[in-house]
Amino acid sequence: MAITPNYYETLYITRPDLPEEDLAKIQQKLQDSISNNQGEIVKAEKWAERELAYEIQDHKRGIYYILVFKALPDASKEIEKHLQFYNTDILRFMTLKITEEAANKNKKSKEDKTPKAEPEPAPKVEAEPEPAPKVEAEPEPAPKVEAEPEPAPKVEAEPESAPEVEAESAVSENAEEVKVESEAKAETSEEVKSTQEEGGTQ
Amino acid sequence: MDSRRDRGRYFTKKKVCRFCTETIEMDYKNVDLLSRFITDRKKIVPRRNSGLCAYHQRQLATTIKRSRFMALLPYTVLH
Repeated sequence: MAITPNYYETLYITRPDLPEEDLAKIQQKLQDSISNNQGEIVKAEKWAERELAYEIQDHKRGIYYILVFKALPDASKEIEKHLQFYNTDILRFMTLKITEEAANKNKKSKEDKTPKAEPEPAPKVEAEPEPAPKVEAEPEPAPKVEAEPEPAPKVEAEPESAPEVEAESAVSENAEEVKVESEAKAETSEEVKSTQEEGGTQ
Repeated sequence: MDSRRDRGRYFTKKKVCRFCTETIEMDYKNVDLLSRFITDRKKIVPRRNSGLCAYHQRQLATTIKRSRFMALLPYTVLH
């Protein structure tokens, strides 16, 4: 059975003060190991420079680079070996196998690719029907899920009215009478309380 | 256990899995999306709160863990 090339995506973080030459050297090695395994680079670019969520080797910031490529499985091993070798400069790296569609979606942003005669004849045709930019844009309008993670606060929130009533009664002279009245008024809050107690005893 | 029963009594609205209804792709680089599915303490939101189906909840957990490894999301609030 012939081994077929796969699509991979490697994300790696370099330390922010890495000199350009060193970075170029590392990237050259990655490129070599791809081309040695009948591969081709779909995308290689800087993704972001951002604050790390936690410190890695005392670095608080890092520069993220992304590399999408198509190659034989050995290429990913080789790449990870290279990245591991420079582990003082490369803080983290991760390679994932991705689908062809995902890879081609990335490719769309970089359209000056020359299509090769390999089994990749119609990336553009496949890329067009995808509503790719929308997928990225959509996650914004629906923060609903986070908004209601605790469905219980109503019951807890209402008893607040009861302490207020008590505070008012403490201010007035004839506290007990007022309290009785206020209790009558605040039937709803009392009901909530009683239901809570029932719930507790059940 | 009682509280859960009570909760069911008061809130009958059923959530539908967001990833099934909308065409969102789960990507470990999409920090804005994933950060909605972690708690204040940076734990992964359980299924009863996230409202996801089992399949997507599993995917979500994996994706968040990948994101954590790449220092895009924190593991805890303590570091």
